[in-house]
Amino acid sequence: MSDRHDGSGIDLERELAHHMAEHRISRRMLLEQIAKVGAFAALAPIIAACAGGAASASPSAATTAAPSSTAPSASTAAVATATPEPTPVPSPESDLFIYNWDGYIGENTVKDFEAKYGIKVKYDKFPDASTQITKIRSDGKGGGYDLTYPGSTDVAPLARDGVVAALDLSLIPNIKNLGPTWQDPGYDPGNKFSVPNYWWTTGIAWNPKKVKGDITSWANLWDEAYKGKLGMLSDQQEVFSAGGFRLGYKPNTTDDAELDAILALLKTQKPLLRDYTEDDIGDFIGGQLWMTQAWSGDWVQMTYDDATKDARYVIPSEGAIRGSDVMVVLSGAQHPIAAHLWIDFNLDAEVSAGNSNYIGYMGPNLAAQQFIDPTILANPNLNPDKGVYDALAELVSLEGADLDKYTKRWLELTS
Amino acid sequence: MNRGGSRWLTAFAILIYAFLFAPIVVLIIFSFNTSRRNFVWAGFTTDWYPKLFANRDLLEALSVTLQVALIAVIAATVIGSLLGLALARMRFRGRGSSEVLVLLPMVTPEIIMGISLLIFFSQVFGQNGSLGQIAIAHITFCISYVAVVVRARARGMDPHLEEAARDLGSSSVGAFWHVTLPLIAPAVGAGAMLAFALSFDDLVVTSFNAGVGSTTLPIFIYSSIKFGVTPQINAISTIIVAVVAIALLIGWRLGTFEGEDRRQVAAETDTRA
Amino acid sequence: MAEAARPTPSLRARLSGGLLVLPGVVWLLAFFLLPLLIIFVVSFASKDATGHVIFGDLGLRNYLEATKPEFLPAFANSVRYSLLTTILSLAIGYPIAFWISRHGGRHKILLLILVMLPFWTSYLIRTYAWMIILRDNGVANSILMGIGLTSDPIAFLNTDFSVVLGMTYGFLPFAILPLYVSIDRLDDSLIQAGRDLYASGRGVFVHVMLPLTMPGIIAASILTFIPAMGDYVTPDLLGGAQTSTIAKVVQVLFTSGRDWPYGSALGFMLMVITLAGTFLAIRALRHEAFG
Repeated sequence: MSDRHDGSGIDLERELAHHMAEHRISRRMLLEQIAKVGAFAALAPIIAACAGGAASASPSAATTAAPSSTAPSASTAAVATATPEPTPVPSPESDLFIYNWDGYIGENTVKDFEAKYGIKVKYDKFPDASTQITKIRSDGKGGGYDLTYPGSTDVAPLARDGVVAALDLSLIPNIKNLGPTWQDPGYDPGNKFSVPNYWWTTGIAWNPKKVKGDITSWANLWDEAYKGKLGMLSDQQEVFSAGGFRLGYKPNTTDDAELDAILALLKTQKPLLRDYTEDDIGDFIGGQLWMTQAWSGDWVQMTYDDATKDARYVIPSEGAIRGSDVMVVLSGAQHPIAAHLWIDFNLDAEVSAGNSNYIGYMGPNLAAQQFIDPTILANPNLNPDKGVYDALAELVSLEGADLDKYTKRWLELTS
Repeated sequence: MNRGGSRWLTAFAILIYAFLFAPIVVLIIFSFNTSRRNFVWAGFTTDWYPKLFANRDLLEALSVTLQVALIAVIAATVIGSLLGLALARMRFRGRGSSEVLVLLPMVTPEIIMGISLLIFFSQVFGQNGSLGQIAIAHITFCISYVAVVVRARARGMDPHLEEAARDLGSSSVGAFWHVTLPLIAPAVGAGAMLAFALSFDDLVVTSFNAGVGSTTLPIFIYSSIKFGVTPQINAISTIIVAVVAIALLIGWRLGTFEGEDRRQVAAETDTRA
Repeated sequence: MAEAARPTPSLRARLSGGLLVLPGVVWLLAFFLLPLLIIFVVSFASKDATGHVIFGDLGLRNYLEATKPEFLPAFANSVRYSLLTTILSLAIGYPIAFWISRHGGRHKILLLILVMLPFWTSYLIRTYAWMIILRDNGVANSILMGIGLTSDPIAFLNTDFSVVLGMTYGFLPFAILPLYVSIDRLDDSLIQAGRDLYASGRGVFVHVMLPLTMPGIIAASILTFIPAMGDYVTPDLLGGAQTSTIAKVVQVLFTSGRDWPYGSALGFMLMVITLAGTFLAIRALRHEAFG
């Protein structure tokens, strides 16, 4: 099974050199690629990695190795055969393979990008984030795609396992458009591997026609008066964080006693719930849910429908989660330059604003704000002031035993 | 069956056809909805149809889905029919384990089948998913369904017919072609129809085996749940139903479906009785 | 009767039997069993701190873990939904298949294709259409409230009712088609003879039709029960907080839980139980039919 990979490093390098000569990839990018390919060739037992859904180079080799210091012999050989022209802005490839949600970017973004650069975009979709991650991890380098949009919390593990490539920020001048908080985000310091795309909060959406009074607290989702009309998201970390906020715990807690207390609290809520919903928007518009845990962007979508156009949303007083997603270039990308251009293009103020206006999620793009729909900008739920914003917490990517603690309790709760 | 009983039966049948088509009627009506999110009726429009034909991704997804279904149906019907026939009619070494092998893909949770094929192709062949890989996956799970249906028909079919044909000088192939095949034909057709429905609708196995440029219609639609399934999706479903319905109507007018009808006389005597 | 009719196999029959199964068996070995073997090995493995599978020490721990009673409610739900779906599909499918076969006349094939026509639209869109009908402010509730049968909307969605309805709708053709091919094969003279022998229609059904169409009933049961056990999409979309199924548990373990060893162990246990249950049921049905 692992035969194919034994000693295939040489072939891959030759291929890469050839590829580089063809596409005039910058020297720095090439070296980075070789670092990955070399590490990939040195794969530990394939089956062990592949069955984990995380076939990858050994963590240290893939992510921490400085491009110039890794695999020197390989790189000199490759450079020698390829004789790259040291162009400052390399010309892009003719295709770009993107893996993303449907409808996640502005209606004209692909068309405009293709027109501007003459690059043909293949825009493939995944049905859910788990499928996306499994797929890009299946070969440890992106499953054949160039670029994808994972959640920000996925970046660190993906980078550690060598699934995503370090970015060449010199190819992304528009990164200057990001707001100050997004220049150096906690999940990926210095935007080394990722560029933020949208961000949102997780709060409570409710229908004021059906729900009396003002909703301010997570405790409202335990209100017996609305039994059978309440919803929570079908997302274990989101649900446990809501319970945790009620009990005053820090999000992402891995303390067994705290998690047990949260579970006990959530068990008292379950009989009141209509659904742990996969489709908060649809269930809300359809009238099944009067009050539900919801993502802020989904609430915007709820208000687009006549039946629930006065839906309201709140960031609960106990605290709430701020989530975000990012664009990453995959380590096996065949069109890395085009992928960088795509990122740069989407950081353009007008393009970014176009994306935000289309789906109702805020972008981290400061320069884009002048083009964003004023109703989104003026909305404190979508664009909260600094005090509220700073109090928001981010979920972390749980792994191994910590993740098991959540999964075990989540299954106990829901099954 | 007496007259009253058969009238009740017909009424029941009409009711069930109504049950089968109720969501289809709703689906068609909502393809003319002005609301983008398409949950509540907001007004009438035909805009989604021209928009649909401008949606390159959606048309590509439909084309991939149909290509996969075509390959999967043909291959799975041939392989599955032979398998079902053999299981019903023949005794051979390993028959018991073959029966288990046929049922196994059906009891395997989809996610396990999908991920096992993903790893298999990725790690053994270095493949990252493609139309061909999806087709192979679909053939694999369709074979069992075809085999089970054909087996049900072939079971208890009089084996002496084939023997007789052979005794009369037909070759094995000839006996198969002229005697066996016509007898199992309805089951083969039924199996093919099931295989088409399964392939056309599969999400889980497909999503793990799709690659660059091979997004299928179910993946497309599922992916759009997050930000709204637009009436375009209803429109494309409506077109498919309309095309098939028109083809059926033409076929019906031309008498294509008026095949074997040895029962009609009996049915008529039946109602007279 | 099927058993009795089978002749002693000649060498040629043996040979051709082997030839007929060969493509199918080879295909399933290559593209089903071999890949499945990978996951089978995974089910004995463990995982490291970052969730990657390690094969260092294989053992039965995942299987022991999977027998814990915490999944019993989900498993019971799965069995309940699948049995109900199978029974409803047979109860609806048999008369329809009979009606098409005996009263369809020259439109038989057309009627049969019509059964399948709804399934050439996408699953998700059909399910969405059901949601439009069943949701709290949907078509069904509007009608019921309009004619004054209820003042408050009835919660159809996210309940056992909507799950079983969705599954029955989805699997009905899988029952109708094999039932049809089995009923259609019946010779009218046999039914006629039965009618002479047993005065009642019920007698004809129980003593003639049922045994003779048993292969079709068995096939229909297999084709509805087994996929229903593994179906997680329908309970997910039409079900609610109280309708978890074991297939969904397996799904969670593989996806957000990222615990492949445990998920595959649970999956294989589910497979063995489903398969064993199916074979036991087939035996019972055959015994019932053939005495």
